[in-house]
Amino acid sequence: MESQFLLAKAKDDELAVRGECGGAVSALFKYLLDQDLVDGVLTLTRGEDIYDGIPTLVEDSEDIISTCGSLHCAPTMFGDLISKHLSDMRLAVSVKPCDAMAIKELEKRHQINENLIYKVGLNCGGSLMPITAQKMIEVFYDVDPSEVVKEEIDKGKFIIELADGTHKSIEIDELEEKGFGRRINCQRCELKIPRNADLASGNWGAEPGWTFIEVITEKGKKLLDGAKKGGYIEVKTPSEKAIIIRGKIENAMIKLAQKYQEKYLEENYPNIENWDEYWNHCIKCYACRDACSLCYCKECDLEKEFYNDEDGVVPDPLTFQGVRMSHVYFSCINCGQCEDVCPMEIPLAVIFHRMQKKYRDKTGFIPGVSEELPPLFSPEKE
Amino acid sequence: MMKVAHTICPSCSVGCGVNLIIKDNEAVGTYPYKRHPLNEGKTCRKGRECFKIVMENRLKEPLLRGNGLKQSSWDAALDAVVSQIKLHPAPEVGIIISGKCTNEEYETLKKFSKNLGVENIGCHTGSVPSVDLGTATLDDVENSEFILIIGDVIKETPLLGRWIILAKENGAEIFAIDKPDETLTGVNSHQYQQVESISSIIDEIDSTVLEKLSSQSTVIISNLENGDNFEKLLTFFNQYDTKIIPVFQDCNSRGAMNILPILSDDDLSDLLEKIKVLYVVGDDPASIMIESMKNLDFIISQGCMVNETTSISDVVLPGSCWAEKTGSLTNTTGETQEISKILEPPGNALDDQNIITKIAEKMGLEL
Ligand SMILES: Cc1cc2nc3c(=O)[nH]c(=O)nc-3n(C[C@H](O)[C@H](O)[C@H](O)COP(=O)(O)OP(=O)(O)OC[C@H]3O[C@@H](n4cnc5c(N)ncnc54)[C@H](O)[C@@H]3O)c2cc1C
Ligand code: SF4
Ligand code: SF4
Ligand code: SF4
Repeated sequence: MESQFLLAKAKDDELAVRGECGGAVSALFKYLLDQDLVDGVLTLTRGEDIYDGIPTLVEDSEDIISTCGSLHCAPTMFGDLISKHLSDMRLAVSVKPCDAMAIKELEKRHQINENLIYKVGLNCGGSLMPITAQKMIEVFYDVDPSEVVKEEIDKGKFIIELADGTHKSIEIDELEEKGFGRRINCQRCELKIPRNADLASGNWGAEPGWTFIEVITEKGKKLLDGAKKGGYIEVKTPSEKAIIIRGKIENAMIKLAQKYQEKYLEENYPNIENWDEYWNHCIKCYACRDACSLCYCKECDLEKEFYNDEDGVVPDPLTFQGVRMSHVYFSCINCGQCEDVCPMEIPLAVIFHRMQKKYRDKTGFIPGVSEELPPLFSPEKE
Repeated sequence: MMKVAHTICPSCSVGCGVNLIIKDNEAVGTYPYKRHPLNEGKTCRKGRECFKIVMENRLKEPLLRGNGLKQSSWDAALDAVVSQIKLHPAPEVGIIISGKCTNEEYETLKKFSKNLGVENIGCHTGSVPSVDLGTATLDDVENSEFILIIGDVIKETPLLGRWIILAKENGAEIFAIDKPDETLTGVNSHQYQQVESISSIIDEIDSTVLEKLSSQSTVIISNLENGDNFEKLLTFFNQYDTKIIPVFQDCNSRGAMNILPILSDDDLSDLLEKIKVLYVVGDDPASIMIESMKNLDFIISQGCMVNETTSISDVVLPGSCWAEKTGSLTNTTGETQEISKILEPPGNALDDQNIITKIAEKMGLEL
């Protein structure tokens, strides 16, 4: 369907105030629960502080208020939480582009039933690892990280807000130059507006207190119409100028991501000796496999092949990583989860992303976005 | 109903944060806890699979020995415990607890034994003696210029190993010593020295290595098969101006040491010889010294899992696993972390502190 742009905000005052940009997303969730269109909403709640995003299943619409707001220092992934634990529920879920990509790949592999879920997309300029964010705030902002009440990325700056209302901001480029800022895979991520969800919402092009929503699917359109009729949200049409600004920011972000792809996947790509050293660290813990939404097989070949392998101190990278690579690289969505969880600090996502990119250039297959399965996918793994 | 809740991994002494995925009061998986400063959502396989402990071989009902072990009521089980303890003079009663309990449980048990006049009490830690020293922090490891590692730390405790990798990336020099031809830690070190036996390290160690020990260095000692070696090595390296991290076995060995006497295997077997009634909390002495337990008149076993000791016990009291209790654990570097109750214990199992308190009440003891 043709896409449609609008500005929305929650009618409920509390949601409007507590929401990130007018609380439209939260209001949609409340509507879905109140009307019994879903059994639950999967989002994040803020735990101990702004660095602590905890996946939360909300089943009572009164509880939606506790999930309001964006957590940029919470690089979570919802894909396999849904496929492994919530696949039988009618669900609405707030999705960053990578969440939406993982869900899409799992839908194609029949691990998630797309008819059961509403994907409310959040545009995403990138997320930060919580501990990196804290160190960064301490070192570069000279602020006790526990005193930060809110953070956001806007106009190329990472901005923090303290309890007394003061703001401090630093150019994100400068932070990333020094090894802080967004996760490295996020720096390379090109899908900034999740057009693989039902709706894509964000602050780009929005007026203060409003969320800019791009309607992607019929399901998304129906959801918005229903919530509007039900008195949950207020909507208006964005100006032509707002639409153009949003497009410009998106393009600039994509260009920047491509620049970072060049940097991390080519210029700074580890050489053979670096890889030898990295593979020596591997403890064969399977964390990378378990974190990858695409590794969903119930019986993993890795367990079979290594069942009797007691000779090597270090697993042979060609077999261990090679097997995983040959199974998933063509579908890698560059979510960075494998790298995040690797206890041995091996920069895994660059390998998978780099190979996927070459494959994409040849076949045109874009994981998490293309409707079909990748041409190399072997159904024997089903 | 599904929820994701923070906890600390109970499987080794490093103390990583993990999130448990709970569905309908059952632990069904783990989820990365990236906010945790120690491991940032990274864990080894034991950490990711710790949710399985919640379900493994659980004791759900009190058991009392009649003709074999039979399910009983709490009252009957506790009455049997109390009458046996009362029947014996305090010197004939022994209490042992594992390094996997909470600090609060150690405190409660300590008070209990004191009020009962029982002196044969301790935490069984296997090879590790009681250590009373300030140890290095993980930040110290990361900022070290030189790290000396005894044992295969990267393989056995990978999330402590991770800090060695980070230090190496920061330019630290890494030296490893161990017995095998090759170890994972050795492969990732600048130099690896193979030794005949751990007890010979002090004699065999390269003198140039010792020269590198300074306030900017850390010595990590792990994986020792006997406590004497551990003690000797600690004393030896304590002469140098270096930071030290001893790697203990259980998630709260370090906490137990701060509160209770520590029992090596030998101490434990001595203790068993002196007593007639044994009260075991969360431990499994029968798995290592069943012979020394043959002369006991009465064994009381409290814990969450079926094990060799519960099978030879006269009374079995079903307790809680770590995810079912609130309290604190002290990791191998001495950092104390809180855990909160996430799940209800299964069947008629109870919170361990509650069980100790109930016994005390029935005995007429103040706690
Ligand atoms: C990491 C991140 C980066 C973003 N970057 C941009 C950007 O560059 N440009 C842009 O236009 N918009 C961005 N957004 C979207 C924007 O911040 C708002 O979320 C969006 O405008 C909706 O506002 P709202 O008031 O309707 O949301 P709310 O009503 O506050 O609802 C937000 C929902 O998102 C959930 N949520 C919060 N954090 C996360 C997370 N990390 N992962 C998954 N779900 C989460 C909340 O639990 C809540 O349900 C980003 C959001 C996130 C989470
Ligand atoms: S991978 Fe992309 S979508 Fe996911 S958090 Fe990073 S920038 Fe956002
Ligand atoms: S290989 Fe890594 S980056 Fe790629 S999809 Fe899997 S977890 Fe994400
Ligand atoms: S997560 Fe890292 S250490 Fe574990 S198996 Fe994967 S590459 Fe090896």
